[in-house]
Amino acid sequence: MRPAAAELVDSREILPGQWLQAYHAPDLAVGSRAGQFVHVRTGDFSGMVLRRPFSLNTVDAATGTVTIHFRVFGRGTEWFTRLRPGDQIDLFGPLGRPFEVDPRSRHLLLVAGGLGIAGVRMLADEAIRAGRQVTLLFGAASAREVYPSTLLPDEVEYVVATDDGSLGHRGFVTALVPDYEAWADQAFACGPAPMLAALARLAAGRRGRLGVAKLGRKRGGGRTDPTGSPAARRKAFLQVSMEQNMGCAVGACLGCVVMTMSGTPQRVCREGPVFAAEEIAWEGGW
Amino acid sequence: MSRRRPLPAARPALAPATRILAPTRPAPAEIPAAEVDLTVDLGRGLVLPNPILVASGTFGYGVEYGEVVDVDRLGGICCKGTTLRARIGNPTPRVTETPGGMLNSIGLQNPGVDALIEKYAATWMTWRTPVLVNVAGESVHEYVEVVRRLDGVPGVAGIELNISCPNVGMGGLQFAIDAGAAGEVTAAVRRATDLPLLVKLSPNVADIRPIARAIADAGADALTAINTLSGIAVAPDRRRPLLGNVYGGLSGPAVKPVALRIVYEAAQVVKIPVIAIGGVTELADVLDFLAVGAVAVQVGTAIFADPTLPLRLVDELAIECSRRGMATYRDLIGSALPARTGRPSAKGVEYRP
Ligand SMILES: Cc1cc2nc3c(=O)[nH]c(=O)nc-3n(C[C@H](O)[C@H](O)[C@H](O)COP(=O)(O)O)c2cc1C
Ligand code: FES
Repeated sequence: MRPAAAELVDSREILPGQWLQAYHAPDLAVGSRAGQFVHVRTGDFSGMVLRRPFSLNTVDAATGTVTIHFRVFGRGTEWFTRLRPGDQIDLFGPLGRPFEVDPRSRHLLLVAGGLGIAGVRMLADEAIRAGRQVTLLFGAASAREVYPSTLLPDEVEYVVATDDGSLGHRGFVTALVPDYEAWADQAFACGPAPMLAALARLAAGRRGRLGVAKLGRKRGGGRTDPTGSPAARRKAFLQVSMEQNMGCAVGACLGCVVMTMSGTPQRVCREGPVFAAEEIAWEGGW
Repeated sequence: MSRRRPLPAARPALAPATRILAPTRPAPAEIPAAEVDLTVDLGRGLVLPNPILVASGTFGYGVEYGEVVDVDRLGGICCKGTTLRARIGNPTPRVTETPGGMLNSIGLQNPGVDALIEKYAATWMTWRTPVLVNVAGESVHEYVEVVRRLDGVPGVAGIELNISCPNVGMGGLQFAIDAGAAGEVTAAVRRATDLPLLVKLSPNVADIRPIARAIADAGADALTAINTLSGIAVAPDRRRPLLGNVYGGLSGPAVKPVALRIVYEAAQVVKIPVIAIGGVTELADVLDFLAVGAVAVQVGTAIFADPTLPLRLVDELAIECSRRGMATYRDLIGSALPARTGRPSAKGVEYRP
C-alpha cells in the first residue's frame, strides 16, 4: 500500500460519459480484493488538491493490470479522460476493506445501481473463480446507461431494470430482489444511498419472511461482532459498499465517515467501504 | 511609509550590492547535506529534529500513514484536535475540493483525551519525532482540564492549543478572534503545565497583531499559524450548502498568501518563534515562510495528495542549505522582513540572553 506510478494501457468510453480505463499496476493486480479501492492523483496538484477514490473494478494478475470505471463528473474525472495509453499516473492502494463471503455461501446476489456496478464488478470474478453462482441485478435510468453484458463473465446471470422500461424490467432494481432472496445465500450491493437503504430494509425483513428466524441458532452463535469487523460483514446477509467524499483515504482525516447503529461514525476509507447493511444508521443518520 | 534601509550584512545575500560582488568572491564552501543543522529549539527542552512538521487533522495520530511514511524522520507531528470528552463530529459531507484547496468540517471528531492517552501515548513514546497534542475546548476550564491530563504523560512532547473554537462562556465567539480571550486561555493553560505550549492562530480576524502579542505575553512558547479560513460551498443541485455543517475551513495552496501575511505580521510583533502553516506543497513554499520569519512549517492538505511530501521537504531543505554553503537552515529565516525588525526568534524564549 504505497503511492506508485501506473501506466495507462487502455481507455474507452463504454457508455455516454462513462469510462473504463486499464492501468499496468502489477502489485495492485495481485494484492487486491473485491470491494477495495484506489486513491488516484490528478496531474494538476495546484488546482486539484485531492485525489479521487475509485473502486477496483477488475484486476488481472496475469497481465498485471487493474481497471477503474468512472463517470465524468467535474474537472478531476475530465482530466483522466484526456490521458493516453503510455501516460503515467499515481495510484495509491489497495485501500479499504473488502467484501467478506461466508465460506458456506454458494449463491451470491449482486445488486448494482448505475455506476455502483464498479463497486461489485470484481466480486463477480472472485465468486466465479471460487465456483459460486452469481446473479447480478442492475438498475439504471434508461437503456443507454445499461452496463454492457459483454463486459461481464459468461457465468453471471444478468438481470436488468430501467426506470423508464426501455430495457429489461420497468422500475427500480430493488423490486427484483424479492424474487431472489430465497435463492441467495448472501447479497452485495453498491449504488445510490436510497437504493442501499431500500435493500437494507428488505434484508432486515428477509429472515422473518423466509422463516429462518425459527431455525434456532443464528449463524456465528449469536455473538455480536464489533462494527466494521470482517466477522460482522461475513455473517451479514447484505453487505453494502458505501461512498463518501474523501481526503486522505487512510483513516487520518475523518472526512469520509458514515454514521452507524452503534452511534459512532465509521470511516468509509478504513473500516469500509464495505459494511454489513445492519451496521449503518440508514434513518436519521447523516 | 518609511523607506527600506539596506539589509544588515548578516542577512542572506539578497541586496543588489552583494549580488554584483558575488561572482568575484569564492563560492561558499559546500557543506554536506547530512551535516546541515536543521534542528529547531522551541524552548522548554523541545528540540525538533527538523523544521518540517505535519499539521493537525491531516495526519491523524501519526499511525494511519505508518506503512507509507517513516514518521521518525518528521520534524514533529501535531495530532488531531483533542477535547475533554469524545466527540462524534459533524454530519457529512465533511470535505470537498475547491479551486486550489479544500473545505473541511470534521467537527473535532475525537475519542477524548483519556482514550487518546490510552491508545497512542505508548506508541508515541517509542518515536524519535515529538508529538504535539492539538487541544480544543469550549471553555477555559475545558482546555485546562485536557492539558492537565496530558501533563507528564510520556510520549506527549507538547501542546498545540487550537483556539479557533467557540467559547460557550462568550456567547460562542471564538477565543481566537479576541485578544483578551486568547490571552486568558493561554495564561490559564500556561499555569496548568510546564509542557511546551504552542498556540495556533486563526486567520479569520481583522488584525492578528494584538492577538499574537496577547498570546505571547500570556506565556506561550511559540505561535503556529494559520488555521483554516472560514468558507462554504454550494451543493450541486444549488438547493442548500454542500457541507453537512454548512461552514467549513479552507486549506491548501489557495490560503498560502493569507498565511504568509499572518506569519509576516506576527513574526514582527512577538519574540517567540512562529511556525507557519498553510498551503505548503513544495520547497519554495518552505523557503517563502522562512523568509517572512517562520522558524518551521507544518504541511497539511498536501499530504493527502502526496504523503511522502514532508520527508522530501526535509531532504530538499538540507540540500538547499548545502548548495548555498549554509551550516544551518536558520540563516534563511527572516530575509524578507522589513529591515527595522530585529531578527525573528528562532529559539524558545527562556534560552534567549
Ligand atoms: C481535514 C482537516 C482537518 C483539520 N483538523 C484540524 C484540527 O483538528 N485542529 C487544528 O488545529 N487544525 C486542523 N486543521 C487545520 C490544519 O492543521 C492547517 O492549519 C490548515 O489545513 C492549513 O494548512 P494546509 O493548507 O497545509 O492544509 C485541519 C485541516 C484539515 C484539512
Ligand atoms: S478519507 Fe480521511 S479518514 Fe477517510
